[in-house]
Amino acid sequence: MAAASFEFDACVLIDGSARGVALRLTDTLSFWGGFDPIAGSIIDVHHPQYRAKMEGKVLLVPRSRGSAGTPGGIAECLRNGSGPSAFVLAERDVNIGVGCLVANQLYGLHVPVLRIAIEQMQSIASGDMIDIIGGGKIRILRPAPT
Amino acid sequence: MAQTLQLSEQDQARMRGQQGKAMQFAMQTIVAAAEIDQAQSLIDISFAHIDACFYSGRAHLDFIHYMLEHGASLAVPSWTNNGLVSLNDLSVRDPMATREMNEAKQLMEAYIKLGCNPVWTCAPYQLPGGPAFGEHIVGSESNAVSYYNSVVGARTNKYGDYLDVCAAMTGRVPYSYLHRDETRAATILISLEAIPDAVRSSDLFYHLLGHCMGKLCGDRVPLIQGLVMDCSKDDLKAVSAACCSSGSVPLFHALGITPEAMDFDQACQGRSPLETIDLQLSDLARARRELGQLGSGRLDGISLGTPHFSIDEFARLVELLDGRSISPGLVFYLTTSRHVFALAQQRGWVDDLRQAGVDIITDTCTYFSPAVKRLRGRFLTNSAKWAYYAPGMLPVEVCIASLQECVESAVSGELTLDYRSLQ
Repeated sequence: MAAASFEFDACVLIDGSARGVALRLTDTLSFWGGFDPIAGSIIDVHHPQYRAKMEGKVLLVPRSRGSAGTPGGIAECLRNGSGPSAFVLAERDVNIGVGCLVANQLYGLHVPVLRIAIEQMQSIASGDMIDIIGGGKIRILRPAPT
Repeated sequence: MAQTLQLSEQDQARMRGQQGKAMQFAMQTIVAAAEIDQAQSLIDISFAHIDACFYSGRAHLDFIHYMLEHGASLAVPSWTNNGLVSLNDLSVRDPMATREMNEAKQLMEAYIKLGCNPVWTCAPYQLPGGPAFGEHIVGSESNAVSYYNSVVGARTNKYGDYLDVCAAMTGRVPYSYLHRDETRAATILISLEAIPDAVRSSDLFYHLLGHCMGKLCGDRVPLIQGLVMDCSKDDLKAVSAACCSSGSVPLFHALGITPEAMDFDQACQGRSPLETIDLQLSDLARARRELGQLGSGRLDGISLGTPHFSIDEFARLVELLDGRSISPGLVFYLTTSRHVFALAQQRGWVDDLRQAGVDIITDTCTYFSPAVKRLRGRFLTNSAKWAYYAPGMLPVEVCIASLQECVESAVSGELTLDYRSLQ
């Protein structure tokens, strides 16, 4: 199978451009309690992607959940440089949006937050290369299997 | 989107920076949140419960320092959630983590400087003077959001860190989701018909029910049919906390019990629930297993008070302990608010419990790192929320039990479960 590429038009929650390898979470995540913002890794033992690391990746997650600490966990991992380069969600998640907005303001970052349909999210696999172009265009490049 | 959001003249002046940079940043954050929510207007709030005072890293300090340096002040009464440390007893936390502890203390002091009422509790609804039915408020800590919406009938979405502070500073939130009537209708029915009365009357049941609800409902609004009519505020606190750990249920109704569910039609707003789930005993037993299993034998500790212990729970603990002491070598942590601590002290319970070996901690909670001293090993808790989160944060194995089982285990030092209940 050759490499494949496809595109989605996303809804922009926080605009910006970014690039990275996809990490797709198959369940929602609490970024406080379920997440270590120093290591940028999932520590919720019940989570299907337990121990996955986010640094520099384009994180695909349906939405956050649980504790109110999610914006803080997100701002902290972005401050530490252990966080994702972009967030792609399946819902209009204010907590993730505010975490990025505050980190962007305090630390001069431009981490975007986009929303696509859950079916679109499910068509993206962890390991795909993702290019996010300002204004909400998401380009996915799937490497050929080796 | 942005062009349809209606802003007042004052909102617009704040957006332009006419009330200073802190107010501008707060207003911009509220407006960005409103755009994400697709709200068409903002509304006034009367109260806020602030979570951003809970230290989770340097970003929290950077945020409030930015606000204070640029002239921040509060628009509404604002009460603080737990802090990472206890301002009453700084030795509660691991002394090795000095920098973190100092920053956590600085953060709490910054929120006092901002003008917050320093109640330091995750169960603010146990304190007098809080919001009433129908008020629009800002809740942040997930169990308090669920409790305020469900049990008090105040209206709040789950406001995360920073947005809670921005709302308290501006007195404004997006008019969306649970602030609106139509979103508060129950859409899923949880029937307890198959659960025996004796089980429905036990304290452990409410934690397991909440855990099941979180998994079944996601963020839908459930109507619970069949709760016993004399269930306590603590039982409803347990449901609130558990359903926001395994899921995010910011509002539930309980037929005949919670204020927006006096009858079926009120709870469902005249429609039929889209789904009905008949909860089975096996669901509760599975929930108990999911929340941790321990083999028999010696325990290292007990943890109570997640969310903070109420005065009624103190009374029940004193009654169950009945003058006996905690087994030597076993740690017994109980977390509560300053307010409830003072009430318990007036009744002479604090001294008695301390003498029996109970370590009572205020202002904070125990289940995250850096660990409270000696919090490692085999632990028993009466809280689904503690059981859900602690194993990911602390070097503990955990098992959930009723308050009575916790007390009997604490006295004997060995795991002492009542095998008739939900095994």
